[in-house]
Amino acid sequence: MFYSTRSKLILSFLGISFLVCGVALLVGGQLLYKTVLNEAYTRISLDLNAAREIYLSRIKGIKIALNITSVGPIFKTALEKHDVQTLVNRLNVVAQQTELDFMGVVSKDGKTLCRIGPNSFPKGNTPENPIANLVIQKQVAVSGTVILSNAFLFAENPELAERARIKLLPTKMATPRPEIEELSGMALAAAVPIFDAGTFHGVLYGGVLLNRSQEIVDRVRDTVFQHEIYKGQSIGTATIFFKDIRISTNVLAPDGSRAIGTVGSEEVTKYVLTDGKKWTDRAFVVNDWYITAYEPIEDIFGQRVGMLYTGVLEAKYADVRWKALSLFILITVAGMVFAIGLGYIIANKMSRPVQQLIEASHQVSQGNLSPEIGPISKSEIGVLQKTFKEMLTSIQERDERLKKESEIKLLQSEKQASIGKLAGGVAHEINNPLTGIFTFTHMLLRRNDIPEEVRSDLETIAQETERVRKIVKGLLDFSRQTELDREPTDVNRLVRQTMTLVENQALIKGVNLTFESGDGLPLVTLDRNQMQSVLLNIIINALDATDPGGSITVSTNVGISTSHPGQNGVEILCTDTGCGISPENLNKLFDPFFTTKEVGQGTGLGLSVSYGIVERHGGTIWVQSKVGKGSTFKVWLPTEEKRTENEIISRG
Amino acid sequence: MKLLVVDDDAIVIKSCRRILEAEGFEVTTVPSADEALEKVKYYEFDLLLMDVKMPKHDGIFLMREIKKNWPDIPIIVMSGYPTPETIADVLKLGATQFIPKPFRPDELIKVVRQVLQKTLKKDSFPTGAGG
Repeated sequence: MFYSTRSKLILSFLGISFLVCGVALLVGGQLLYKTVLNEAYTRISLDLNAAREIYLSRIKGIKIALNITSVGPIFKTALEKHDVQTLVNRLNVVAQQTELDFMGVVSKDGKTLCRIGPNSFPKGNTPENPIANLVIQKQVAVSGTVILSNAFLFAENPELAERARIKLLPTKMATPRPEIEELSGMALAAAVPIFDAGTFHGVLYGGVLLNRSQEIVDRVRDTVFQHEIYKGQSIGTATIFFKDIRISTNVLAPDGSRAIGTVGSEEVTKYVLTDGKKWTDRAFVVNDWYITAYEPIEDIFGQRVGMLYTGVLEAKYADVRWKALSLFILITVAGMVFAIGLGYIIANKMSRPVQQLIEASHQVSQGNLSPEIGPISKSEIGVLQKTFKEMLTSIQERDERLKKESEIKLLQSEKQASIGKLAGGVAHEINNPLTGIFTFTHMLLRRNDIPEEVRSDLETIAQETERVRKIVKGLLDFSRQTELDREPTDVNRLVRQTMTLVENQALIKGVNLTFESGDGLPLVTLDRNQMQSVLLNIIINALDATDPGGSITVSTNVGISTSHPGQNGVEILCTDTGCGISPENLNKLFDPFFTTKEVGQGTGLGLSVSYGIVERHGGTIWVQSKVGKGSTFKVWLPTEEKRTENEIISRG
Repeated sequence: MKLLVVDDDAIVIKSCRRILEAEGFEVTTVPSADEALEKVKYYEFDLLLMDVKMPKHDGIFLMREIKKNWPDIPIIVMSGYPTPETIADVLKLGATQFIPKPFRPDELIKVVRQVLQKTLKKDSFPTGAGG
């Protein structure tokens, strides 16, 4: 069953599909995923650039707003007049329009003149304003990231100080630290010097607090990642770190809130914040793996104070990979199922005619020579089917031919047997009266007193009686199934010996008698005397049929039997250029008593006896003839190979 | 010389008698094996000429009986069906000579004389001159 064509076919199909799909799986699963991952790294790197642009553009926006405000005539006039109320009003409008968290004016000696918020007109000392101080010092506009102390924020607006205060939350990969709260704030701020007719009057400052701000990170998420959702979670995330603390992020904590206060992983912090390098790799963010990019944020003093981060959930890519893998597995499985199905169908299609042929062969072996072999296939099997059919036809034909031949042979044998019996009986009965005729004729001939006429008549009677005796003897010879006295014989020698017996007759008649001996003839075990009489009979018949000037050619060959397939033998051919035998006579040729010779010239028993002798040797005798052209007699005798071999060995 | 001819066919009997009496033999003829045995019981013969194929008891039976009881009588067997097997059988059983039918007178005479001469030679030394 396992070795059947069907299993083999299915197995090979399976093998191919397995190979193809396996390679696809490997390529798809590994190579493709790597490419996708690389693509993802490149993309996240670009995303980080975009995020930076958004970050910087916000700073730029603040700077422009302050610039525009500072050059406005209302503002300048109010500043000149120290009309703080007007200034504050103006600041409030601008702050509201550009969504600034803090804004104020600092005098050239560093004192805060006024600001937005609840404490607009501060009295006494105000906490240090790092960005305004830098502008006073440098006398140029400054913008960028600024770290603001809790005191400053509190002075600006207690709400800001409250917003800036972030409780640290531990995460798996974070650096452990002693403090539990971060009070300082990180802000995007700008400050512009206010000049009037070349005189420095003060500084206009303003900015937004990044702590707990959603503005920048969400804008990054919405513009860069277009708020792509994966399993209820935004795929793209952006975070602004203050030092390694997430102060503004849309990465979510397990409880679904923004993961503000969580600390970045130690590895990334060291790489980016300490070493100042850009990080692009997968990283563990809060509690998921992300494909991430980090870069350091420098403040207006050039210090690395924080990090900007963008990241996409790795799960999405893993999912892509998993999806690709599943697809390939699905294709593999489908391919296998298809292979099995296809193999089954093709094997069926292929094996059905084969099965039918097997069944047909079986039937043939049981004797049915016309079994059903089904429709002829168009493939090579079809050739086999056709050949099989042809084979059957030829077997049938051969069968019929053999049957016919054996029928003819049987008929001939029966004829011979019955006629033999009859001849035997008749001969026996005739011999007694013949004895009488002989006796009294000869007794009469002994007398001296009979006239010459009577003696002549009596002699005729005696002669004719002698003829009858010969005929009867021939009959008896024919009826006698004498046993063969066989011995290994060189057929060429036998033929040559026989031909010497008729050489003179041929010479006298003027017929050319030739012998073409075949080479390499095996020895044939035969009764030399009987076979010689057969040959003699055939040659004499040929001689009788051939006119002077004609020829008789006797030849010998190694011959394969036509009626005994596969049996080797020797054939002796006698071809004459005589009168030929008419077709109606050809059928009666071997019948006893059939003769075309004149009365007294032949008994008509010669060929019949020859037939019997050849038959008893297991051979065949065959005639081909054309009236007016001549006849060919063929005697085929089987060689018993084993016996011949032994003969050679024993002789050697 | 006394000869007994055994044959079921009258023409053979007649022919043999004609040929042999012309040669001066004393010829007795019988048509069957049984009658031949009766004759042999009461008369002495120098030669037996017999057919093989006869109704009731055949020549083979007769020859066996003769050889059993009168082994010295020479026998010539004649047959109209002279197959080599028959000839061989007959000679094996003790027939002195075989002659196929039909025969010419001279052929029969030749055989009979040959056989008689042979037996005479055989007999002449131990028993003295005979015939």
